[in-house]
Amino acid sequence: MSTTTAGRCHAGAAPYSEPPQQRRPAPIYVVCSPNRQVGKTMLARLLTEHYMADARPVTAFDLADEGPGLADFLPHHVTISNIRDMRGQIRFFDGLIETADVPKIIDLSHREFANFFTIADKIGLFEEARRRSIEPLILFLIDPTPVAAKAYSLLRRRFAGTSLLPVRNLTVAKGLPYGASFPHASRLVVSLEISVLGPAARALVERQTFSFLDLGKQHTPHSDMSARTRAELDAWFRRARFQFREIELSLIRQQVLTTQL
Amino acid sequence: MGKPAVILVGADKGGVGKTTVSRTLLDYFASRKISTRAFDTECPRGTLKRFHPVITDVVDVTSVPDQMKIFDTVESSNAQVTLIDIRAGLMSPTLAALRDIGFIELTKRGQLTFAVFHILGPSIASLDEIAETSKFLLDARYFLVKNFINNTTFFDWDEQTYDSYFNKIPHAVGLTVPKLSEMACEQVELSSVPFATFIADKKANGEPAGNSFVLRGYVRHWLNSVFAEYDRVHLTDIVDSKDAVIKPRVKVAELSPQRANS
Repeated sequence: MSTTTAGRCHAGAAPYSEPPQQRRPAPIYVVCSPNRQVGKTMLARLLTEHYMADARPVTAFDLADEGPGLADFLPHHVTISNIRDMRGQIRFFDGLIETADVPKIIDLSHREFANFFTIADKIGLFEEARRRSIEPLILFLIDPTPVAAKAYSLLRRRFAGTSLLPVRNLTVAKGLPYGASFPHASRLVVSLEISVLGPAARALVERQTFSFLDLGKQHTPHSDMSARTRAELDAWFRRARFQFREIELSLIRQQVLTTQL
Repeated sequence: MGKPAVILVGADKGGVGKTTVSRTLLDYFASRKISTRAFDTECPRGTLKRFHPVITDVVDVTSVPDQMKIFDTVESSNAQVTLIDIRAGLMSPTLAALRDIGFIELTKRGQLTFAVFHILGPSIASLDEIAETSKFLLDARYFLVKNFINNTTFFDWDEQTYDSYFNKIPHAVGLTVPKLSEMACEQVELSSVPFATFIADKKANGEPAGNSFVLRGYVRHWLNSVFAEYDRVHLTDIVDSKDAVIKPRVKVAELSPQRANS
């Protein structure tokens, strides 16, 4: 399942931690945007560490072709994948739907955006995932460019039955209206917003050695982190996690409703 | 049951994908619940038989007993469609034989439907074949198939030459079989099952095959494109059955494993 790239080799990355006590719906999160520098890797990190913080299993994939990618921040928990050739596609997509009970997080590079969704459409990835009780969620980082609006509209049309959630990263999308270009297209009644971090906190999270899980430890590896920055990051991570739980709860509600029907 | 139909799939050149097109046709008719039987003239090897063993017989189309086996039973068999996969080099001789035994005359009288799928190769020689073949087929449904599955390129065709040939055969209908990923193609070959069975992830004996989901997805996408071409030319109409015409257009993705195996 894992693919290696020169300098970013993490073969054999496995789902994190022990099996959970309680089985929940295990979605596939596709974190994406056709643009760079909009916060895809940050959102993928937050999501991955959200599961890790609860000691729940999670599998994360880095489809970035330039660093720093998800695998640079979480080298022991992320599989670097390549979908440019058939063998890579088989490894990646077959692996993605192999197990239904482990959440998967894909950090999709802007350069692989079109390729990924073209393949997904051709092979019927999302239909097959749902057939296996895996809920695919496309988390689309919105921004003010026409490229983003067009891509969002295309995804909405092409994957009409799949949850497409606009994610507002306030660093790049502050004041951007949702409704006009990025209408909510999901049965899940949730929205995602990433608030702005102060410069000190931001500089810290951009370090490849930084982990949100360290915030809970008494002695962090970051001796230069002030109490104020720690509190800011802690609140920021909690806010993000609250929203992720909302998504999970919404998925459970959806699952219950579907079962009752 | 409507009027029986006989379909000849052939080309005078080898390696242009006759058997592949035959396989897609058998899958197509199965998906439309049109009963078929097939004859594989690649005697004694029988490539088509490897993929569709239950409905396929290997025959020597140049021998009179085997010609009787095929053509004397068209109306009496339970199959609505009789498909004959003609070995390379036997297309024109077979058509000549059909003319000589009066088979083509039967189609003129409307007793059965006769269709020819002429698989084109990438060279000018193929166009000469068209001229050679078409003279037998004024009363047949004539389909000219550009088969891209094995990455055939048609670039060396001069468009003017190509058009001039097509203008000579006004009743010919063009069909395109798109390219399928080489690895997907190879895997289906190795599996030795119909495309629909591969997509349904089954072995020939009905057990789960464990084929790659990605490869199955590519094959499904490709086969749906081929089926769309067959729908475009209203292929089910050749059996002249009202049932067949009003049947819903089933996509490969909707095929159950049982149906895919049948």
